[in-house]
Amino acid sequence: MSSTTIGTTSTEPATPATARKPSTFWPRFIVGAVILFFWEFVVRVLAPAYVAKPSTVLMAIPDVFADPAFQAATGNTLSAVAEGLAIALVAGTIIGLAMGRSPMAERGIRHYVNGFYAMPMIVVLPLFSLWFGYSSATRIATIIFAAIFSIIINVADGARSVPREYLEVARSFRANRLSVLIGIVLPSSMPYLLAGFRLAAGRALIGAVVAEFFLSIGGLGYYILYNSRSYKHAEAFVGVLLLAAFGVGFELLVFWATKRFMPWYRREDKAS
Amino acid sequence: MLNNAIRRHAPFCLSILAGIAIWEIAGRSASQAFMVPFSVTVKTLWQLVVSGEFIKQFIESARLFLTGFVLALAVGMPLGMLLARVRVVRVGVEPYLMILYATPLVALIPFILSMMGFGFAPKVLVVFLFAVFPVVYNTVEGARSIKPEMIEVARSFRSTEWALWRDVMVPYTLPYTMTGVRQSIGRALVGMIAAEFFLSSTGLGQLIMGASQNFDTAGVFASVLVIALIGVGLMRLGLAIEQHFARWRQ
Repeated sequence: MSSTTIGTTSTEPATPATARKPSTFWPRFIVGAVILFFWEFVVRVLAPAYVAKPSTVLMAIPDVFADPAFQAATGNTLSAVAEGLAIALVAGTIIGLAMGRSPMAERGIRHYVNGFYAMPMIVVLPLFSLWFGYSSATRIATIIFAAIFSIIINVADGARSVPREYLEVARSFRANRLSVLIGIVLPSSMPYLLAGFRLAAGRALIGAVVAEFFLSIGGLGYYILYNSRSYKHAEAFVGVLLLAAFGVGFELLVFWATKRFMPWYRREDKAS
Repeated sequence: MLNNAIRRHAPFCLSILAGIAIWEIAGRSASQAFMVPFSVTVKTLWQLVVSGEFIKQFIESARLFLTGFVLALAVGMPLGMLLARVRVVRVGVEPYLMILYATPLVALIPFILSMMGFGFAPKVLVVFLFAVFPVVYNTVEGARSIKPEMIEVARSFRSTEWALWRDVMVPYTLPYTMTGVRQSIGRALVGMIAAEFFLSSTGLGQLIMGASQNFDTAGVFASVLVIALIGVGLMRLGLAIEQHFARWRQ
């Protein structure tokens, strides 16, 4: 246990040594089984045959994964999300560092960053499609727009809260501004950056799916739209499962990275 | 006093004015089909307001937003606390809540469309789905933070279940629930626009869609501006609600 968790550990060993530690597996397993059974039952009794239910979705999985169209769609969406996230990460970090370290920049653009962040990102789609056409460029732009502001806000928060002593030490060694920024401010705002990235990844996925719905360009979102329109709900739902897996995967990745590389940092949600 | 107010608000005003100036210049130098200057945007917006079109669509959207959001609160808060009270259930449900929280729920819209069609109910369902999980998730999180001693003390004083809820569960989870409410407000707005875009076109979403289909760039800018302002207003409201209840925390 590190020093930051003392506050909680001193109060929390409420579970005395004699208390039994119930396993978490069985409750989870049972709840999962109940959900699946209930879903299967309701759809079988109440809904038309085309509606997805666990059994048909399970049966559709091998076919869908072997389908080249599905593989292409997944690759399409994932590479767009990766590209957009990479651009948003680099640009967002730079803008965030500037905002966190320079009061001028902070005052100048803070309201715009907060404003764009509060705006439902879907709204920009008609505008972006006007500017970039009905193409994958619009999808990338939407992903960047969806992702960048949570990164900026979190990095700026992180850069603002760099311990003063670090900066004083750097100054007394006559470090120049750039090396202070890269050597001290950036690493010390890393946990914030990861928290921002976690939010950004979720929003980027939503942005990609929405853009594909709106623009009808190839990708996982369009695959879902197309198949559910032709009443192949089970196939379409496999796409949803994959999206969910990506969402959860990003979440776990960031959680793991925070634990692995920054064990002293306790996760908390900043702007969300 | 007045001087102080000026000093405090000057950067904000300057930054907004600079933004408007850049927008105006960019709009005037670009083609009218791509970019519309600020002055034209405001004029278009004014026309929309005067013609009554804007008010009509705004009320339509507000009805959708409020119905979905209130339903999400009415279901999410009790559900969250119930889950939190019964430990076994909470442990069982947690991973699934986390999965639903991390899934891009927009992907469910095509299913809702093909099962429920174009009415008001499917749109409410979309807003509800977008808004409900942050409330449940944060309420459960809050209830987790209640120290077991609290409940043990209440128990040893022979507190009834009802009193336990009234005096321990609700007051302690409320601040967390309000964090969820703030997140929900933002998500419900996204859900509202998504429903209006991809299900039947109504409300503010229709205002944008209509303008974009007619290549009425000024109309698109005007409606995007309005929705951005609504977003900022709602976010402020959410923060105010959260901070009001945050006094309880600790």
